[in-house]
Amino acid sequence: MNTQLEKALNVEPSERVPFLPAIYEQKAWFVGETPSKVCRDVNLFTTAVLAEYERVQPDALTIGIDVYNVEAEAVGCTVTYYAGDDISTPAIGPEGAIFQGSDDIASLKMPDPRKDGRMPLNLEVARRVVKVLGREVPIRGAVSGPFSMAANLVGPEHLLMLTVTHPGLVKELLAFSAEVIKRYGLAFLEAGCGVMIFDSQASSELLSPAMYRDLVLGPTKGIINSLQQSGLRHIPLIIGGNTTPMLDVYLETGANNILCDAKADVRQFLERCSKARRAFRRNLDTSDFLRVTVEELRQRAVRTVEESSGYPGFILGTGVLPYGTPLANLVAVREAVREFQGKRQ
Amino acid sequence: MKELQEIAQFLEQGQVQRVVALTRQLVDAGASPQMILNEGLIAGMSVVGEKMRSGEMYLPEVLQSASAMHASLGILKPLLAKEGAKPLGKVLLGTVKGDMHDIGKNLVGIMLQGAGFEILDLGLNVSPEKFVEGITTHHPSIVGMSAMLTTTMLNMRTTIDTITAAGLRAEVKIIIGGAPVSQKFADEIGADGYARDAVLAVGSVKHLLSLEK
Repeated sequence: MNTQLEKALNVEPSERVPFLPAIYEQKAWFVGETPSKVCRDVNLFTTAVLAEYERVQPDALTIGIDVYNVEAEAVGCTVTYYAGDDISTPAIGPEGAIFQGSDDIASLKMPDPRKDGRMPLNLEVARRVVKVLGREVPIRGAVSGPFSMAANLVGPEHLLMLTVTHPGLVKELLAFSAEVIKRYGLAFLEAGCGVMIFDSQASSELLSPAMYRDLVLGPTKGIINSLQQSGLRHIPLIIGGNTTPMLDVYLETGANNILCDAKADVRQFLERCSKARRAFRRNLDTSDFLRVTVEELRQRAVRTVEESSGYPGFILGTGVLPYGTPLANLVAVREAVREFQGKRQ
Repeated sequence: MKELQEIAQFLEQGQVQRVVALTRQLVDAGASPQMILNEGLIAGMSVVGEKMRSGEMYLPEVLQSASAMHASLGILKPLLAKEGAKPLGKVLLGTVKGDMHDIGKNLVGIMLQGAGFEILDLGLNVSPEKFVEGITTHHPSIVGMSAMLTTTMLNMRTTIDTITAAGLRAEVKIIIGGAPVSQKFADEIGADGYARDAVLAVGSVKHLLSLEK
């Protein structure tokens, strides 16, 4: 098992900083197919995750390609998939939402992770990858956070409007979403892997920290508590964008590792996470992977690690990498971090 | 005028019905639609923009304000047209290929409409070819592109390249916006402008068209 990541998550000194690039649609690139094809084919999907590990050697793997779609699709939302060689990532547009803001939340179907939508497919991929790599590397199933799932159910703009006009309805929607996510998360545990929660629609770039506290914190804690009670020790909660304004409430969720995206204030994260003994992943700017030279990328990776001031709960990551991100760039960052650590010791 | 200040305040508070009622009241009393627009709606949205940038307001509240502005514009637009007010220019808007997020783009559309521009909205997940088709069909002065994801922002470059390859680059100014993009990125991909938010987009568009220094 990967002890470097385990140590970082426990905020204990380790030999090197773990590297966790955000590889989702990029998985499909490793097998030369489109995200729309790979995310719906259990064999291709499994091969893609195994290829990711072989080529990139990240310190953990995530089972997920179009991360935010799976739960909402299982409830009945329509995902736009792309035909032919279109490499766009499948997504749920505003027209794909099923809930138009009436008061019939009770009519929403509670999906069964064994049967509905692509939940069974994702779980089968998790089982297969665990079988091959489960002893070598942590494997986590990707689940949506409650606000992001609700945004797909009603449409993001509609949900944001409802937070002001009908907060009670939003609370009901989030409670429903949290229940769906808990069931899906527990199914990942049964499949032998961990869980990683993604909720970037709840970022303080969109919602105020007060709104997060009032509406999203409770359902999120509920999901995390439920997973913890089932024996899961490490639960990442990934919220992108500049989350510095919501750092207090972010830490209150109970997730033991959180995200400090490229736009967020790393000094604040270092100070507060250190006090709370939490790990955090600091992202490199994703666009750098496509516009700067390999050498410049290496230097930026080293500078980012230096910013951590040796904090043992520090993990290096990236924002979501676009399909076709050159493998050489990922390898360069990984090697730069390892060489840097080697020189320091 | 007290009522104009009230419109601005109610707009800031996102009180749609009150903004609409006051707009009607002022129109019925013979107030100039242009004055209501400038000193009520635009003044209110400028404050909203400032508060959003300083972290006093967040997107849900901004959307309420925009909704109030949109509703009031529905009353004012026919009157402005009757007065012979000509659009300041045509703006073609769209969220780039692969991206299903349209909140930012819609806000920009409302703000530009309020500022007197004609908006042609291509919607979301717009391919580079659709942008080209939009330019040849509508002949806009400005093309505005939006992207919310790091994985789709690169399609802005592809779209600009496609517009250039179609021989249309000199006909339009291109402005971009969205959470992951920046002025630096705009410069790198050859866009003419960048706006951090919907309120600032109005100034950027006017600047690009030399309507404002």
